[in-house]
Amino acid sequence: MSADRETNQNMTNTDITLLLADAADEVEIGIAPYQAVMRGGRRRRARRWAVAAATALVLAGSSATLAVAGLPGGDGNRGASVATRPPTATPGVLLPQDRSLLAVGTDQGREWQVSVDVWPAPRDESQARASLNAMERYGETPVDIDTPAELVGKIAYFVTRGVGGTLFAPTSQNVVTEADALSGKDIEAVAVPLEPGSDGPQRLVVGHVAKTALQVTCIWKDGTTTEVHRARSSDVNSDEFVIRSPEGSPFDWFVCLAPEGTEYASAKVTG
Amino acid sequence: MGDRKQARDGEFQRFVIGRWPRLMRTAFLLTGEQHAAEDLVQSTLEQVYVAWRRVGSADDPEAYVRRVMINAHARKHRRKLREFLAPKDDSGIVREIADTGDRIAQAEDRNALLKALAQLPARQREAVVLRYWEDLTETQTAEAMGCSVGAVKSNAAKGIAKLRAIPGLAGMATQGGRK
Repeated sequence: MSADRETNQNMTNTDITLLLADAADEVEIGIAPYQAVMRGGRRRRARRWAVAAATALVLAGSSATLAVAGLPGGDGNRGASVATRPPTATPGVLLPQDRSLLAVGTDQGREWQVSVDVWPAPRDESQARASLNAMERYGETPVDIDTPAELVGKIAYFVTRGVGGTLFAPTSQNVVTEADALSGKDIEAVAVPLEPGSDGPQRLVVGHVAKTALQVTCIWKDGTTTEVHRARSSDVNSDEFVIRSPEGSPFDWFVCLAPEGTEYASAKVTG
Repeated sequence: MGDRKQARDGEFQRFVIGRWPRLMRTAFLLTGEQHAAEDLVQSTLEQVYVAWRRVGSADDPEAYVRRVMINAHARKHRRKLREFLAPKDDSGIVREIADTGDRIAQAEDRNALLKALAQLPARQREAVVLRYWEDLTETQTAEAMGCSVGAVKSNAAKGIAKLRAIPGLAGMATQGGRK
C-alpha cells in the first residue's frame, strides 16, 4: 500500500496524458454518421429562432414585393392599410386561419404590429404540395423544407412584423408538430430590433410558452420588467401585451417591447 | 446559392468525417460510455451544423466545437439527467476484450481510469480531459469551459490529485500507459 502511494506520488502529468490516451482508445470509433448529423442539424435549425438567417433566406427566396405591403387584418382602425390576400384556389390546401395578431402598439409615434400565420399540418403529400404553393403566394417559404413530403404532419408558422405601415418579411418561422408543445415553465424567446434590418437595441421580444402559462415577465437590461398576462376574450385587439393562443399553434405566444433606452435581457414564465 | 450551400455541406461533411474519431475519444473520456459518447458527439455536430456558415469560416472551428461539446456535457449535469459515468457497476464502461492475460490487464487498467474519471465532478473531469487529453493550454481550456483560467487551474489540479490518490492507477502509472 505504501509502495502504491509512493508510485502515485511519482505519477507525473505526462503519465496521466498517456493513461487518458490509452483509455480513449477503448472507444469504438465507427463510421461518422454524417447523414444522421445533417438530419439532426436541419431539425435543430428548423426549431431555432433563426431570425436573421430566416429573414434573409425568405427575402432571397421570394420576390421583393414581400418587403413592402400593407398591414393585414387585426387592428384595422389603427391606420394601417389592409393587404388583400392572394387568391388560393388550389383545392385541398389547408390555409392558415386569419392572420393572428400577437401584439400591436405605438412607439415614437409609429404604429407597429406583430402577427403570426399558422398553417395547419397537411395530411398527405399532395396536400403538402398545395400548401407549399399557397405559402409561396403568401410570400411565406419554410426554410428547411425541401420536398412536400417533409411538410406532411407539420404545422408551419410565420411571424411577421410591421412598423409604420410597412410589412416586413417574416421575422421568424418554423415547422413544428403537436409534439413540440411546451409545458410548465418552458419558454422560447427571441429579441430583435423593432425596425427590421436596424442595428438598434433588441427591444422587441417574441416568444412561446406552454398553453398553461398565465404570466410571462420580460426583464430588461436596465433591471426593469414588463409583465405579460394571459389574454382575456376582451383583449383580442388590445394594445396591452398579453399571452395569446393563435388557432392551430401547439404553444401560446407573447410579445413585449422594451422601453426606449434599454433592451432585452431575459424572459421567464412567472405564473 | 445552391452551389454555395452544396459546397458548405461538402465542407461540413469533410469536417465531420475528419474530426469524428478525435471527438469520439474526447466524448468517451467525458462520458465513459460508448453510446453516451456517440450521442454527445452527434448532438455537438448537429449544433455545429446549424452554425456552420459562421463556424466553417472561423479561424478556429475546433475551439467552437469544443465549446459546444463541453456546454452540452455540462448542461447534462446541470439538468441532473442520468449520468452514464456514475460508478454503479462496471457494465457498459469497458467492452469485452480478447481474453489474453495482457489484454485483460489492460482492460482492468482502463476500467480503473474510467472509473476514476467517473468519480470526478464534471468540471474537474472536463478540465482534466481538455488539459491532458486534448492538450489544450489553460487559456484554451478556460475558453472551452466558459470559465476563468483560475477555475481551470483549480479544477485540473483537484482532478489530477484525485486521480493520483486512486491506488488502482498506480500500476498503470509505472508503465506510462500501455500504448
